[in-house]
Amino acid sequence: MSWKLWSLKKSPWVFHVNTGACNNCDIEVVNCLTPKFDVERFGIKLVGTPRHADALLVTGVVTRQAAPRLIRAYQQTPKPCVVFAIGACACNLGIFRKGYHVVGPVDKILREVDPNAIIAYVPGCPPKPEAMISGVIKALGAI
Amino acid sequence: MNDQELRDEIEKMSNKLIAIEQPLRNRYFLSCESQNAHDVCRFLFEDVRARFVIATAIDSDDCYEILYHFAYDELGTIIHIKAHIRDRENPSIESIAPFLPGAEWIEREIHDVMGIVFVNHPRLERLILADDWPDGVYPLRKEAKR
Repeated sequence: MSWKLWSLKKSPWVFHVNTGACNNCDIEVVNCLTPKFDVERFGIKLVGTPRHADALLVTGVVTRQAAPRLIRAYQQTPKPCVVFAIGACACNLGIFRKGYHVVGPVDKILREVDPNAIIAYVPGCPPKPEAMISGVIKALGAI
Repeated sequence: MNDQELRDEIEKMSNKLIAIEQPLRNRYFLSCESQNAHDVCRFLFEDVRARFVIATAIDSDDCYEILYHFAYDELGTIIHIKAHIRDRENPSIESIAPFLPGAEWIEREIHDVMGIVFVNHPRLERLILADDWPDGVYPLRKEAKR
């Protein structure tokens, strides 16, 4: 295992990208960091810029306005990186499927620029913090 | 002001209204043509001193409707003004933002998604649509393509 992958799995630093969420997933993401769940004990830390991040937590359907910004955030994340599509909208558009502002789910947008992007899906509306932690563990176990 | 006094105040405007409906004690629907809506809103805001809540727009069967929702909190009364815009080709209505700055953004939003021009609006620019959204496409109109 390369040292890059080892350091990613040892302590994944995450950057939170909201591409058009209703804020409910964002609240649950923040909830993961509160003392009750305290994901920092696993080394999962929220950072302020994608350039410091190992993983992107993407919440919400990708809107027309947010798509180029999501691609830029992804391109600025050091590789290898894991993208977590958090919530039903990010995974598969959810209730916003027919919205005029929607361009696609997270995986479709990212696979256009990087066909080999590592994407993990955490469905739910919103997913429970337990589900997110479980998703992170499963994704890190798989790479 | 009690309920009867409020009703009397509203009836002062009856020459500018098509209909006054009062289905409940604390709910009024005032229909008017688009050219009178500005005066009716101004009267409600400045003379009756009702509070502006929000405006909404509907792509109705034969016209566009702008609904201005006002609240008179002392009585818990909600007053809706339905302004009918009959011209479907070039829909426009006088803006209420010059005397009611709280209406500025909702009018910009309605302009974005329904294409209704608010005349005398201080800054009628794009608010909620994406920067690369094509001009002249109004997503919440009935004829909009999905």
